[in-house]
Amino acid sequence: MGLLERQFEENVLTTKVDWLLNWCRLSSIWPMTFGLACCAIEMMAVGCAHHDIDRFGAGAFRASPRQSDLMIVAGTVNFKMAERIKRLFDQMPSPKYVIAMGACATGGGPYYKYGYTVVKGVDRVVPVDVYVAGCPPRPEALLEGLMKLQEKIQQSSVIRRPARTA
Amino acid sequence: MDFRGIHDRLRAVGAPGLAGLDQPRAPNPADKKDKGRAGDPFVWVEPARLPEFLEVCRDDERLAFEILVDLSAVDPSKDDPNLWIVVHLLSLAHRHRLEVKCTLPKASAALPSSTTVYRAAQWHERECAEMFGITFVGHPDPRHILLPEDWVGHPMRKDYVFPDEYHGISCK
Repeated sequence: MGLLERQFEENVLTTKVDWLLNWCRLSSIWPMTFGLACCAIEMMAVGCAHHDIDRFGAGAFRASPRQSDLMIVAGTVNFKMAERIKRLFDQMPSPKYVIAMGACATGGGPYYKYGYTVVKGVDRVVPVDVYVAGCPPRPEALLEGLMKLQEKIQQSSVIRRPARTA
Repeated sequence: MDFRGIHDRLRAVGAPGLAGLDQPRAPNPADKKDKGRAGDPFVWVEPARLPEFLEVCRDDERLAFEILVDLSAVDPSKDDPNLWIVVHLLSLAHRHRLEVKCTLPKASAALPSSTTVYRAAQWHERECAEMFGITFVGHPDPRHILLPEDWVGHPMRKDYVFPDEYHGISCK
């Protein structure tokens, strides 16, 4: 270490690796092909040419949780589905992210009071990174949510992993 | 045929279990509280003889109800001791419809299954069974159709108590 010692500011090298890895991650967030209700229609619109989620590198909707980085919970989650969502989330490899899209996935939405089989927010089953408001949200709103997630990934560190509780 | 004609025909062929009819009427102008009755005319049928009744509706050539449009149930009120079964029939040959209703006591809600007459009734009866707690005796496949198999209670009953949690997920 003699040559390099005191030649650079502290931790410069580590920070650059962080930046590179985060840039790689946030530029290719592959979502899972997975829609539960009407929000999924808006999610499909995001995938199509007009809004084009491919601009963010997130257009490769994977048919398997094992190839996915992002779970967009687009729609109403009921108890029958919640266990399957948990299972799919467990099957995804880390680092993995969850966007709760729309009022139902965020907190039960219109089914909050009388929906006896609706889970009052998917965050009771899986940890959610970004909540997108709307019923259903406009495609622009989902893209905004994706950009927020990219900001979040940009701030993560290879060494200091953010604690994740499933 | 109009409703009156269908009812007369049912009487003429001696449809089993036929227990009366109910028709919409205009409100009485002299009585302010009387709101009349809106909706369609229907016939009352004894629940125990519903399959036989439906069989006559299907097989009689003047009635010829080939299609079971819907088989559903109603919990009219918390105070009402009865549930209703509501059946909608359609004849494409004669272009007429019929609404059939039965009352069932909530305490012992059971009636014979209509699947032997209309196979379309299978899913409708499964839904009624899980939502209202009605037993359809002789149903070939009495599993839940929408709710999970281990769901407690019948959600469409007026006295339904919402669960606190399901498989560790809070419901409140």
